[in-house]
Order: sequence, then C-alpha cells, then structure tokens
Amino acid sequence: MQNIIEVNKISYNYPERSLLFDNLSLNVREGEWLALIGQNGSGKSTLARLIDGLLVLKSGAITVDGLPVNDENINEIRNRIGIVFQNPEDQFVGATVEDDVAFGLENRQVPREQMHEIVEKSLKSVGMWQFRERIPANLSGGQKQRVAIAGIIALHPKIIILDEATSMLDPQGRNDILQLVRDLKEDNHLTVISITHDIDEAAGADRVVILNQGQIIDENTPDGIFAQPQRLKQIGLDAPYPAKVIEALSRRGITSDKQYMNDEELIAWIKQLVSRM
Amino acid sequence: MDKAISLKNVTHTYQANTPFAQNALDNVTLNIEKGEFTAIIGHTGSGKSTLVQHINALLKPTTGSLNVLGKVITPTTTNKNLKAFRKQVGMVFQFPEKQLFEETVIKDIMFGPKNYGATDEQARHSAEHAMKLVGLDHSLSNKSPFDLSGGQMRRVAIAGVLAMDPEILILDEPTAGLDPRGHNEIMDLAKYLNQQQHMTIILITHQMDDVVNYATNVVVMDQGQAVKIGPPDTIFTDLDWLRKMQLDLPSSAEFARKLESAGIAFDQLPLTVNQLVDRVAQLVGKKAAHE
Repeated sequence: MQNIIEVNKISYNYPERSLLFDNLSLNVREGEWLALIGQNGSGKSTLARLIDGLLVLKSGAITVDGLPVNDENINEIRNRIGIVFQNPEDQFVGATVEDDVAFGLENRQVPREQMHEIVEKSLKSVGMWQFRERIPANLSGGQKQRVAIAGIIALHPKIIILDEATSMLDPQGRNDILQLVRDLKEDNHLTVISITHDIDEAAGADRVVILNQGQIIDENTPDGIFAQPQRLKQIGLDAPYPAKVIEALSRRGITSDKQYMNDEELIAWIKQLVSRM
Repeated sequence: MDKAISLKNVTHTYQANTPFAQNALDNVTLNIEKGEFTAIIGHTGSGKSTLVQHINALLKPTTGSLNVLGKVITPTTTNKNLKAFRKQVGMVFQFPEKQLFEETVIKDIMFGPKNYGATDEQARHSAEHAMKLVGLDHSLSNKSPFDLSGGQMRRVAIAGVLAMDPEILILDEPTAGLDPRGHNEIMDLAKYLNQQQHMTIILITHQMDDVVNYATNVVVMDQGQAVKIGPPDTIFTDLDWLRKMQLDLPSSAEFARKLESAGIAFDQLPLTVNQLVDRVAQLVGKKAAHE
C-alpha cells in the first residue's frame, strides 16, 4: 500500500517549551484506519495539527497525498483532510445545520446549485437531513458530531482525522459515530486517523501507534499492542478488559502461559479450565 | 441513617403554560441517605441533570417538594436566603474547567469561599486544603489555571467547589473527556471524599463500570421518572429491561454473558472483575477438589 501521509524526521516545540517532537517519523498508509493512542499531553493532537498545517514545523517535513505541507499547498492539503474535533461546540459557524454544512463549500466558491445538492447528499449520508433547519446548539452531542462530519464529507476529503471526537459522547453516541465513520470510510475510500485514549476505539483500528512524551514507543496490530497491558498502564492508558480478567485470575493462582488473550481466546481458556477434570 | 435528600412528587415542567411545555421530571419521589454514594443513570434526555439541579435549588419544582439537609424547597421558594444552603450542596457541572476565570489557581479556588463571606486568610486556608484533597501540588498555586493540563484544570474546578466544604457533592459526568489516568484519579477522589470525609456523593454517569465499582445506590431515570432505585446488584438483573432503558451492562456482566453462551453457568450475574473471577476460581477449584 502507498503512503498517503509521510512524517519525516520532524521536530516541533510550542513557544517557550522544550522540544515535544525530536526527529519523529511516521507513515500513514492509504486506506488504513490508524489509531494514535497516548495520554493527554503525549503529542497526539499536536501531530494532527502539524499534518493539517495548523502549526508550523521547526524542522523535518510532512507530505500529504504527495504534497509537501507548506504555505503554498495549505489550501490543497486542507481540502484533503477533514478534522473532527473533541468538542463540537467549538466548530459550528452556521445558524442552521444546513448553513453550517454549506459554509465550507461557500468558502471554496462552489456554485450555488451544486452546493444544495452536495449539502443534501452529505446530510443524508450522516442521517441528519431531517434536522437541516435546526439550530446546531439545540442538537445532542452525537448529532452535533454528525453535522460536523457532514461538513467534512461535503468537501470530499481523502483523510479524516478524529481528534478525540467521541470522548464527550455517551456510549451509545460513541458507537454510532464510530460506525458512521466506518461506513463513510468504506463508501468514500477514506484513510482514517483516530486520536483517542479509548481502548475500545483503538481495538477497531487496522494499526495502533502509541505516542508517549512525543515519541512513538510502539506500533502494531491492536492485539499486538494489547498483549502488554502492563506497559499500557505505565503510560496511563487503560488495560483492555480481558487483560484485567487475566491479571485477577493470576492473583488467585490461575495462570496462563499466554500474556494476552482476546475475548474469544479467554473464553476458550476459561472453558477449558472449568471442564478439565 | 439520616436522610440527606428527600423528593416528594417532584414534577418540573420546562416552558410551562406554553405549547412547548415538557415534563423534564415527572412525579419523582426518592430518598437519599447521608453518606451514600448514589449514581444517577439513564440515557441522554432522561432527566438526570434536571433532577440534580433541583438538589441545590438551581431549579425549583413546578409541583411537589424537596427536603435537602433540612431545607424545604417548594415551587414558591425564592432565591433569597439560599446562599447558606447552596454552600452545603456543591455542584460540579460537566466540563467545569470551562468556568475557570482567575489569573492564578489559588485565586480561582478561593473565589467560592470568599463569595460566601470568608476572609482572605480563611479562604486561602480552605483553598490550600482543597488543593491537597484533589492532589494538586502546592507549587501550582500561583500558576495560571489555563497553563495546566485538562485533567489538572478539572481538579482545580473541583477544588473550587470543595473549598466551600459542602456536605453533599454533585458530580455531573466528572470524567468525560479525560484520559484513563485522569478518570481514575477523579473517581478515586470521589471515593475518598465519600469514605474518609463522609460526604454524600451524587454522580451522574454513563459508565456502568463506575456505577458498580463505586456506587452504593443507583437511581435509574427514564422519561423524567425515577424508574428504579436500589443497590447496583438489584439494578443489573433484568437484561431486557436494561436494553429498553438503553443502558449498557458493566463490562464484567457483558463478559459473563459470553461465558454463559459458552456453557459456563453463573448463579448471579457478576458485575465486577473480582466477582467474575471469584466465580471462575470457584468452578476451577471445585473440579480440582474432585481430582
């Protein structure tokens, strides 16, 4: 698979702070769902902002879809990347749901007729068409995120970045949004980067990268990452549920050779333990 | 035990006497004892926040009445003379760090006590104590709250409420948006305040694992009504009913259901990892005894 984002030996620090990234490199493959995990302050969101050109590198280079991230390409790059932020309140500009989705199109001077068509299609794709005349402020958290996603889809991006986009939602809302993004990813051949500290959200990714204090300390499949629950704990992340059961069993003298099992493997093992005579 | 909170037939109608009138609370009657850790659960829009806003009289009932720490609140209660009462009922709203405004951490935490008439010295004393409670290092006192991390900012906001030394502490989704470490710190703080400081805790949450790990009492809200009240093990029994309420199962109950499908029987649905593992250990031990 081709790389759609290449982060090459970058350095960055916020003004008057020490270096957050020092020679960091990371590639994102076209069409993958990459989960970027790490605790608050590990640099996850900063990396997203550098990729989108919202912040400026100290050294190194980032290319997005073949284009170097620089002043010249900034508009092109932002057409290719849509970011859904944590707090939907922070990203509304329109007086109605419809206006809000149209905003990005107006900015790009899309002809009026075409605009109506795109807005309708985008709102329908996130299940919010019937809410088109509503005031965004009066929607639920999950509905607001849907509208934010519609605004992004309207611009036909190649990459969607979810920056803790589900962390303010209740469990139902969170699952709904993740399913919606999975569907949109399939239908539109998108690449998804999900920045999260939710282990369950990371479990659905193709690949997980752990960022800690600005450094990539591991990258693997979700199962490979979860196989080291102790390390997840050390860096302030939650252990996945089966790891908690395995740990509690071992405290009662019931131990396995395997360090980590997923749900199915754990169930099979417990079944074997219980039925062994 | 003494009652901390008692609601009698409380109904609250938003936009009463208009075509948009909507009952946010519908004839709620419930009691909460002093020293309890009560979780209020229910899907979005079920009336949880409206309920707790009555407990410190931010909202008054449209009909019915409440008694909170001896203070009676009725539809005709006015905001006069509520100051002393509100000091006793601390309320931490969702994303409380949005309400930080002072130039230093210590000033922000001192604001509450000073607002209730404390001298500078008293307020500073309370604020320093509150910082200790929430685990904020003394060295942060003179920093701007806006230079802190999200988890720290939230603790400053909670310290601002604790500095008023409330008897009842209401926490409206206090861990939303925090990373797992921040989440555990806030939940452990609530547990400490409940067990060591004997504070009555009311927690609004969507996280069922927190309900079973921390709460002693649960109120389930649905369409403005308190449809079930009791300890956690009486709430998570009827799976069809939980689904109807749009409530999740705690992770351990969810996993036990999968084990049951694989042929491992549970007399009672386990709610915590320890309950689940105890049962498994028991089953394994039993077999071992036969060997």
